[in-house]
Amino acid sequence: MKTRIFSLAGIAVLLALCIAAPQMLDAYSLGVALQLLSWIALTQSWVTFSGLTGYVSLGHAVFYGLGAYVMALLWQSAPLWEILLGSGFAGALLALVIGYPALRVSGPYFVILTLGLSEFFKYIVIAVEAGLESSGRLIFGAPDPETLYYIMLLLAVVATLLTWGLARSRWGAGLRAIREDETAAETLGVPVTFLKIAAFVISAFIPGVVGAVWVLRTTYFEPMQLFSPTTSFTIVTMAIIGGSDRAPGPIFGAAFIVLLSELLWARAPHVYLVILGVLLVSFVLFVPKGISGQLAWLMRRRRA
Amino acid sequence: MNLKSIALRAATASAAMLLAATAFAVEPVKVGVGIAQTGMFAPAAIPALNAYKMWADDLNASGGLDVAGTKRPVKLIVYDDQSDFTKDAAIYEKLITDDKVDLLLSPYATPAHFAIVGVLERYKFPMMGSTAASVQLKAVKPGNIWFPTSALPDVMGPELVKLMKAQNIKTVAISTLQSPFAQEVEKYLKMALKDSGIKLLSSVEYAPDIRDMTSIVSKMKSEQPDATFSLSFPGDSVLFMKAAREQGLSAPFQFVLVGPSAAFFSKIFGKNLDGIVTMGHWSPYQTKWPKAMPFFEEYSKRYNETPDYLDVALAYMSCEITQAAVAKVGLDHDKLRKEISSATFDTIDGPVKFDGVSNASTPTMFLQNQEGKPQIIWPASDATSTFQKKGPWAN
Repeated sequence: MKTRIFSLAGIAVLLALCIAAPQMLDAYSLGVALQLLSWIALTQSWVTFSGLTGYVSLGHAVFYGLGAYVMALLWQSAPLWEILLGSGFAGALLALVIGYPALRVSGPYFVILTLGLSEFFKYIVIAVEAGLESSGRLIFGAPDPETLYYIMLLLAVVATLLTWGLARSRWGAGLRAIREDETAAETLGVPVTFLKIAAFVISAFIPGVVGAVWVLRTTYFEPMQLFSPTTSFTIVTMAIIGGSDRAPGPIFGAAFIVLLSELLWARAPHVYLVILGVLLVSFVLFVPKGISGQLAWLMRRRRA
Repeated sequence: MNLKSIALRAATASAAMLLAATAFAVEPVKVGVGIAQTGMFAPAAIPALNAYKMWADDLNASGGLDVAGTKRPVKLIVYDDQSDFTKDAAIYEKLITDDKVDLLLSPYATPAHFAIVGVLERYKFPMMGSTAASVQLKAVKPGNIWFPTSALPDVMGPELVKLMKAQNIKTVAISTLQSPFAQEVEKYLKMALKDSGIKLLSSVEYAPDIRDMTSIVSKMKSEQPDATFSLSFPGDSVLFMKAAREQGLSAPFQFVLVGPSAAFFSKIFGKNLDGIVTMGHWSPYQTKWPKAMPFFEEYSKRYNETPDYLDVALAYMSCEITQAAVAKVGLDHDKLRKEISSATFDTIDGPVKFDGVSNASTPTMFLQNQEGKPQIIWPASDATSTFQKKGPWAN
């Protein structure tokens, strides 16, 4: 009980600090915080599907890019909130369309299929843009960073609550059962197809909105960058480092990578990606449950 | 030694010490840059960064940057955007708010310029652009960024058609990379070709991750056009040139969009680069621009390779314009904005004056490599040589 009260108090303080951040931080630090929140939201959304089901998706970049594309197409033609929701629904709809065939395969086939579909969709957008004789889309009059920060904070909180709530729900138990043994889960009456598709669709909504917010930050849409598979790889890296089975994992993973990048990119631009690579391998080998899993283990051990 | 000479020496020594002390006391002018030092754009961006470094070093060697009459040393603060333009807004925000730079120089490539337009607007920070070229530049609100390029697709299209007509070209085949700038050139070239009397035989587009252009070149060759256009970026320009060399593409007019002006291109293709036409509006061989050849020689000597005739020239021009404006009005942003918007600047590319965000002085030109030298072949008013048909490829 005491631990629970401390945890809740800690979360309340953290949230209060996040809300007050734009008043306390300079413009650059606010930019870093915005980036951190975007990665938390993206990684949480990945964990709600891949972390719980064990279906490793390398396709989240497509939902992120699609959200950015919807924003670039509709900017200033509708209210901001409508476009943001539209971007999220576009991601979810795409997940529904590709989810049914994609989720019929599993393991490495699913990984390759999601990556392939993501790349396929990127080139469709490139071809559509070429057909429209568009050459990149500039966004003028984007909201200020403070506004974008609060939207991103809301997304990070919603995504975290989603992971937390889902992991504790009957659905979460069903998804975990799929991860452990899909055939056994189905035999026991878990509606595996429905659960997998529902989780995939839910997990695609958040990246759609994050992409839409991020393109307002960069003020320029160019498909090669915004549909880049690097986004998917980074999400998976953060989930592995933070731990992909519980809500604090993506927060630790995103914070670790973003802050480490901030420390290194200006000081050691040529070696920082190498350092990240070494860290990733080290985490996979020595801390397979990620930072959050390791912390939980240490706390359990202390209590025992 | 008499009293008078002792007094004179003492006075001289005091003056020297005072000068030295003043020099140390003068705050350096901090100049910020975010540019690709790693990633896919690095090979093309690093030469532009080299131009910035040469400019700063030369200034420091000559006593510093003239800030409205006071010489101050220059300190470059450079960050790597890792060829990811989505990082540029944060980098330029850091330069402005955290490093508190006095001046900014631009990143590499059009998307990176677009990505920081919002930041420049927000902080009302004037900055000279450099390696950006797009019709969309004209949509940018004037006041905080200016673009020295004259290689804008809506003018390049009609000018290319005029150049071809002057060479009696009758048929054309085009291949285009699916990338914003290349597609803009394609669009305006096709528009200009309509009713020009030049027949478009074929036009293909290809995705950015292309690995081989054999089939595209093969198709072009089978059509026997008078002119071929490879609207490509350095990576696929190399693929196109290799395929053209292997198959002996024999069109007398061969245009390659981005790449041939870079030093690494001539290292790969040597004499085969002769006859290739490309975009660009600077050549060291233009004698009416007296600063052009000294810049070329200094850069070549310092970095042991020739400057990119497009990107490096643009990067250095942006430094020259910034320097001249600061010498006149100092570092005040409002005054700088007015000065850059209204004055005419003497650069390695001749006089430059802006109309809105665009360079209104420099005509759209085209270069052709001739005996290893980039010569301006269009328009006639600025030409350093005349067009020559592409000769046979050497293997």
